[in-house]
Amino acid sequence: MAKKVTLLVGTKKGLYILRGDAGRGSWACEGPEFAPAEIHHAAYDPRDGSMFAAVNQTWGGSRIEVSRDMGKTWKTTKNPAFPEGGDRTFSKTWHIEPGHSKTPNVVWAGTEPAALFKSEDRGETWSIVKSLDDQPSRAKWVPGFGGMGLHSIAIDATDPKKMQVGISVGGVYRTEDGGVTWVQDNKVNGAPSERPDVFYCIHKLLAHPEESGLRFMRVHEEVYWRDPGETTWQFSTKGLPTNFGFAAAMHPRDRSTAYVIPLDGMKRTASPFGIGVYRTTDKGKTWDRLDKGLPEGAPMESVREGMHNDRLDPMGLYFGTANGDVWASKNEGESWSRVAQYLPYVTSVHAATIE
Amino acid sequence: MLLHGAYRGFAGGARDVTLDAATIGEALEGLVRAHPSLAERLRDEHGKLRPHLALFINQDDARLLGWEDAPLHDGDIVHVIPAVSGG
Repeated sequence: MAKKVTLLVGTKKGLYILRGDAGRGSWACEGPEFAPAEIHHAAYDPRDGSMFAAVNQTWGGSRIEVSRDMGKTWKTTKNPAFPEGGDRTFSKTWHIEPGHSKTPNVVWAGTEPAALFKSEDRGETWSIVKSLDDQPSRAKWVPGFGGMGLHSIAIDATDPKKMQVGISVGGVYRTEDGGVTWVQDNKVNGAPSERPDVFYCIHKLLAHPEESGLRFMRVHEEVYWRDPGETTWQFSTKGLPTNFGFAAAMHPRDRSTAYVIPLDGMKRTASPFGIGVYRTTDKGKTWDRLDKGLPEGAPMESVREGMHNDRLDPMGLYFGTANGDVWASKNEGESWSRVAQYLPYVTSVHAATIE
Repeated sequence: MLLHGAYRGFAGGARDVTLDAATIGEALEGLVRAHPSLAERLRDEHGKLRPHLALFINQDDARLLGWEDAPLHDGDIVHVIPAVSGG
């Protein structure tokens, strides 16, 4: 059967599901589910077809929902819970990451307050990863503009025991033993300044899905590349119109290609240069702008979870905007078309490639 | 107990529960026994009632009557309401 793509679009007022046809040319929009709750992130698990939604709501508190029937029905999971005796309570889920194919029942969640939670039963229940929570440097973590959350969970392509997490504002932590121990992983190379401790405001950290050790990282004011075997982050920001932004994606097969959406650091929109996706094909040494079909000069905004790619060939790339658009490219960013508009503020886009 | 708004959805669409309870706290325990899905919607992981939850005994705000210790009497209706806030 031909593969299709379904977009899970989180917004500030519920989850929308855009189901694409075989040619990725037309999209049927369903939703909203869970409105008026904000869906900070939603993810598809290709291992068993589950869908997860981070439902962040004041009424009844935040929760994680799971669907086992492709988004037709949803079930509330057992809430992540912070340890008794502390002053922290689970406030929001920032990111949900299905585990490695070698660990079929494992799903990860990053939360606010910043913590990593692990599920070993396909997302039915969640337990805090105490080894990360016990890091002495946690005392130095501080909230960014949007709060203090753990939002990036980068699992190595071949070894599920190797992973990194990104925290805003707390930097990167790395484990190579499945989360038993962690080390800070913030050493950079070539950057104009160094902030080697927890002071990196990570915006998005990605692991390549096929190449072990390959990473791409969007930081508050920098972009970094890391090749397999390297232990530092290579400064890769030159050539972008600004050094600020959130959204990032990696090409799922090409080992040298990644994408970002730069924003003005003060306005937090793509102004004055206009919304555009910037692509590197040489590991961040140079960047080219991809904007064919995008509105010229539009001061739009795409946030942390706002861009994602499918796994088809040619790759499809998708991003959502604060003004409720979803834009799609089925030719790896060369040209764009709007596949949804007038949605609420889009907080996340996840492209599910479905067999 | 009469559920309003989002709390009906959290209880699978249930509208009301009739139970014996001497206080609001006991009534909430009975409500959760009847609808376990409400447990984490009413309280956080440390057992504290969530913000943005309003409880009224008939027409009176339970916060002014002792909150979880507020006494109940035969025939009282406890309203479980998603509190509106902001401006």
